Amino acid sequence: MAEYYFDELIFNEIRKKNEVALRELYKTHYPMVYHLICSNNGTEQEAKDVYQEAVLAFYERAQQPDFVLSCKIKTYLYAVSRRLWLKRLWEKKRFDNNIPDNEPFPALDEELVDFEERERNFETMKQSLEALGEPCRSILEDFYIRDLTMESIREKFGYTNADNAKNQKYKCLQRLKKIFFVKYEAADGK
Amino acid sequence: MENEKLELMDAYAQGKLSREERYEVQERMLQDEQFRREIEAHEKLVHNLKAYGTRQEIKAKLARLEEELTINSKSNSSVVGDIPARKNPFKKYWPMAAVAASVALVSIVGTLLMTKSLASELETKQTAIYKELRKNFEQIQRSQSRMMENIAKSSEKPVPPGRYGGSGFLVSANGYVVTSHHVVVGADSVYIENAAFGPLKTSVVLSDDTNDVAILRIDDPSFNLQRPLSYMISSAEANLGEEVFTLGFPREDIVFGEGSISALSGYRQNPNAYQVSVPVNPGNSGGPLFNDRGDLVGIISGIQTETTGAAFAIKSSVLLNVIETLPADSVHQPLVLPRQNQLKHLNKVERIKKWKDNVFVVRVYAKK
Repeated sequence: MAEYYFDELIFNEIRKKNEVALRELYKTHYPMVYHLICSNNGTEQEAKDVYQEAVLAFYERAQQPDFVLSCKIKTYLYAVSRRLWLKRLWEKKRFDNNIPDNEPFPALDEELVDFEERERNFETMKQSLEALGEPCRSILEDFYIRDLTMESIREKFGYTNADNAKNQKYKCLQRLKKIFFVKYEAADGK
Repeated sequence: MENEKLELMDAYAQGKLSREERYEVQERMLQDEQFRREIEAHEKLVHNLKAYGTRQEIKAKLARLEEELTINSKSNSSVVGDIPARKNPFKKYWPMAAVAASVALVSIVGTLLMTKSLASELETKQTAIYKELRKNFEQIQRSQSRMMENIAKSSEKPVPPGRYGGSGFLVSANGYVVTSHHVVVGADSVYIENAAFGPLKTSVVLSDDTNDVAILRIDDPSFNLQRPLSYMISSAEANLGEEVFTLGFPREDIVFGEGSISALSGYRQNPNAYQVSVPVNPGNSGGPLFNDRGDLVGIISGIQTETTGAAFAIKSSVLLNVIETLPADSVHQPLVLPRQNQLKHLNKVERIKKWKDNVFVVRVYAKK
């Protein structure tokens, strides 16, 4: 009972992007995943990586308005971590299908397809931005991610007038578009 | 020109256009394939860029949390520090667990074998102990009068003709009542009574021996509820474990009982009945069995003696079949089944209040 109440609370707070709740969640379930991975051929560092991904998956999913918490958060995290770890073991050829799946989570595959696609897009965008170079990267990040106005961008990068800054921004965007879609299609085709 | 277009696409992708402008863009997308592709690509790019931003932020947050956790655990070794010590607790205990498991296995197999050899015996023993729940007033009357004799030494009271009793319930608003066949078998006259309507004379219109269902009609032609019955008769099979309720007259007062469907077959695998874990007594026969939506699912018919908590109820689907065979009668109104459940959203107590008025004690005066 108490656990459900806790879950509900954490879930609602995470929806509101409350950092304290995220911290609580992170702290509460880490030992479980640590134990899962360290008793299955993993290291502490690997446990941390997998756990971060699992929490990230949960966090992103919680932001989606159609998401309904249908099981305990613990179950969700365990199932996702388990799956991610199996995948990594498979890649490392150390696979033995012996990890207990004590709380199966039925719709896991759908959950993870989505998550993996987002992860792939994230990596693609990261590489594209690195390939784009400065100052384009900062301009685009400032405008689209940090929501700065054109005026403050103009000041920050020392353009003489707003039109110049705007032109520059569009040029950068066009370049990014080219790089991104080449990489995107390559990643998609893989 | 190129920049203007970009600006438009940018505003569209970020959702900064007014509704009219947005509509215009969408119109143009429909007509101009090239434009549509461009704008979709743009939207995807901006969307991905934003997603990248939020994800980057969360990742940074999580990285900070992780660092914090590591530092904490190093300083006071709380969260992570003690885990390697109990890396795999099962390893330590597995020999004991294995022994326990083997003991359990032996005892289970043993019990199974023993019960199997006993099972056939039990089966034969059980055959003779189905008991119908008709209440015999004569016996009570006699024992009562015997008691009276003992107390008052008077034996003047004549013993009335054989009287039996059970329960029954309305199945249509125009006065049809269902009870068990064994309650009304051999009846001379049948009266029903409850607190809401008082005593009413009825006649038996159908008594089905094989299914143990009887249908009575209230003789008073003016009897009508003036409103539909509040429960329906379920045509579907109930589920195992479903909560069920009954109302009946094992005493002069109406008695409520509740329990669950414990088996989908009745006495000796009778597929037309349920086994229910509802406490019932002589006099409950013919009483209704309701489910937790308020619909009728069965008719209480009997118990198995020497077995605790095993009562039986005829399935409501059987009742529906019997009703179908009811001969058409030109004098009386036909039996019209209720079509709507009005009890779904009531709580238990409210529901019982509604049910109560439609449940009757059935008094049977037998031919001598």
